[in-house]
Amino acid sequence: MDVVVCLKQVVDPELPARDFAIDPATRRQARDGRTLVISTYDENALEVALQLKERTGGTITVVAVGPQAALGEAVRKALAMGADEALVVDEPRAPGWLGAQVAPVLAAAIRRIGRADLVLVGCESADWVERVVAPLLAEALGASCVTFASRVEPADGGVLVRRMADDGVHHVAARLPAVVSVTSDEANKPRLPKVKDIVAAKRKPLTVVAAADLEADTAWRLPAPEVREVAVPQRTGTCEMLGGEPAEQVEALVRRLRELKLL
Amino acid sequence: MPVVLTDEHRMIQATVREFAARELLPIAAELDQTARFPAEALARAAELGLMGMMVPETYGGAGLDPLAYVIAQEELARASAGFQTIVTVNNSLVCDPIVRWGTEAQKRRYLPDLAAGRRLGCYCLTEPSAGSDAMALRTTAVLRGDEWVLTGTKLFVTNGVEADLCVVYARSEDAPGARGISAFLVEKSFPGVRVGKVEKKLGIRCSSTAELIFDGCRVPTANLLGGRGDGGRIALATLAGGRIGIAAQALGIARACLEEAAAYVGQRVQFGAPIASFQAVRWAIADIATRLEAARLLTWRAAVRWGTGELQPAEAAMAKLAASETAMFAAHKAVQLFGGYGYTQDYPVERYFRDAKITEIYEGTSEIQRLVIARHLLRSA
Repeated sequence: MDVVVCLKQVVDPELPARDFAIDPATRRQARDGRTLVISTYDENALEVALQLKERTGGTITVVAVGPQAALGEAVRKALAMGADEALVVDEPRAPGWLGAQVAPVLAAAIRRIGRADLVLVGCESADWVERVVAPLLAEALGASCVTFASRVEPADGGVLVRRMADDGVHHVAARLPAVVSVTSDEANKPRLPKVKDIVAAKRKPLTVVAAADLEADTAWRLPAPEVREVAVPQRTGTCEMLGGEPAEQVEALVRRLRELKLL
Repeated sequence: MPVVLTDEHRMIQATVREFAARELLPIAAELDQTARFPAEALARAAELGLMGMMVPETYGGAGLDPLAYVIAQEELARASAGFQTIVTVNNSLVCDPIVRWGTEAQKRRYLPDLAAGRRLGCYCLTEPSAGSDAMALRTTAVLRGDEWVLTGTKLFVTNGVEADLCVVYARSEDAPGARGISAFLVEKSFPGVRVGKVEKKLGIRCSSTAELIFDGCRVPTANLLGGRGDGGRIALATLAGGRIGIAAQALGIARACLEEAAAYVGQRVQFGAPIASFQAVRWAIADIATRLEAARLLTWRAAVRWGTGELQPAEAAMAKLAASETAMFAAHKAVQLFGGYGYTQDYPVERYFRDAKITEIYEGTSEIQRLVIARHLLRSA
């Protein structure tokens, strides 16, 4: 099975809160000088692809859209983890894009790659959490779509997907080509690259194309939402002291929590 | 000489940091308290390629440069200095001399297993009466037919209990000091090797430190490492690299102290304010950070020179001296900043304090490092 995994690069979600800032000019998260990593669930998607390849063979191509220079490390890590090759779509504006803007470019990139039985993406990006790329990609590629997959198995020329839903677990059979968005699961915890594979990743094929050369088909595209304002929620805290004996304090505390509708 | 980390170095750093966070941090305190050998975590480290980092790929290693090695060692030691001890001995005191002086047959027989974690190595130099004066060692090697017969007792052997392969230094030639010594690759399964006393230690407790007794141990002549009488030179050159590994360990311990202390002083409130707002506390943090950066630059420079083949023993000695004394300084300050809590096992700084001390002692005490540095500077005097 030939698999394409889409990677997004985001500001490391593990950075301390004090390093989070919004650029007022672009109304986007500030990236300057901050560590950039592969968006969390995209690594789970890559792990699912690697396990599928171990079982069924085939190839894994990773595709990423963004400024080429910044993307190097993320793509290299994916290659070190075991992807066979990478396609980078050089697009300096991409870090500010939302899902509706990036999806047609990804679709064009996947058509350029040619072989893609299965496209895997993270179920949501660690920064915008829109959850729209998988359905938009499936629409653009004329593929079936399954979201929030924890496991993907090959079955009868298609895939069998274990899907995490609000009401429990769905087992979905999908025909190929398919776009599947992946959530985290004990079974798809991303592996660490071997140190020698980090070196070897340099020798794997990496193709760079300019976004303008891809001729993305935008006819089907939804208009991208306009971001009017982004703000960091301000939390304020107040402290009430409850007097009296311990038993009275407990009563007062319970009463107060009920008033606040916390109990 | 500028030291620049490549993308590869940064990726290796991130990978080993993640490995340490997943596999070592959750068990580091328990490993220390129980002095348990971390076999499972070592197997995972071997899968990642951390047991033979500088071994060429032809022999199953990762084929990395010493700077990558040093960066990885700091990350391991940041989480568990004891674990890193096991790894660094295998890499720099066992694999490295086989890569540099081993015959093709020796490399093929031992390096793939050492790099894959199927065998563990140890380095047998120190003896009861030959510590800092290592070249006064008395273990003998006598040639009988096509075998060497080794007799003597080695002390403070890291990995001594679990190791499968020992690099043993013994007196084989009728010459004084270093010139009479040869190096041998001794498999633990060879007849006449046994483990003696196992030490109970202050720190790095999950790595074993043992006495190894060679009682008429028979070693095939094919297992002579280097030439006859080369052992003293091999031991000292190996130690130069080994000392850089210990310097990296000290950096990891010092960084652990800095990171834990910086987090603690930000939340510990006394006299109505976080203690991080007090100047005495801020100065302590600044002093640790400055010494750590300086020691790291010395260590990285020594690693780069190791990689280019230009390393002088004094450079390795300076890196180890600066880094180990920084680790002790940082641990001392960190315990003090934590106050009473720092003296308890509820926080990790007491472990760092115990672990730090060994870096001033093994692979040459701070006094020996100063002697090496001064000897280099005052050659004519």
